[in-house]
Amino acid sequence: MRATAAERTQTGGLVLLCLASWAVPGVGHLWLGRRSKGIVFLVALPVMFAVGLALRGRLFPFELSDPLVCLAALADVSIGITYFVATSLGYGAGDVRALTYEYGNAFLIVAGLLNLLVMIDAYDVAVGRK
Amino acid sequence: MRSHLLLMALFAFFVSLVFAVISRDAPGDQLRFGGMLFGGFIVTAVVISWLMYPFPF
Repeated sequence: MRATAAERTQTGGLVLLCLASWAVPGVGHLWLGRRSKGIVFLVALPVMFAVGLALRGRLFPFELSDPLVCLAALADVSIGITYFVATSLGYGAGDVRALTYEYGNAFLIVAGLLNLLVMIDAYDVAVGRK
Repeated sequence: MRSHLLLMALFAFFVSLVFAVISRDAPGDQLRFGGMLFGGFIVTAVVISWLMYPFPF
């Protein structure tokens, strides 16, 4: 069945919404008019990511030879633009000798994964499931 | 900050906050569900810590 123009536009809008929601946590919810939720995500997730960096966690590289490292990198990059800002500023090298290294990794990885959940939630709101 | 307990509580706070805001709409429900999640994280971590206490490694 061929999609109508309106459906195609809607699909394009959904893709754009998901991309925006991935790039900046909470923007998807703000876009959809869920202001309070959007502001909570906009503040909480980058702060969680920043705490991970402050705890000397590592932003893992995409090493295809090591699947677990690759998955961690995928989770790290799921926080969106914040990841690229942090790497361009030289953060995220990680210090394995630091007492808080593993905590830092947990904060960084989980912040990214939570942002994916937020993105899926924005999608659900947009298609009327919530 | 080097306290494992405080770091764990901070982690639990962020995760509970996001889960509560995602899964509930009314602020009262969010607060109740978030508090329950946060408490659950802390209690579970303390219980598991004590269960691991006798292990020699």
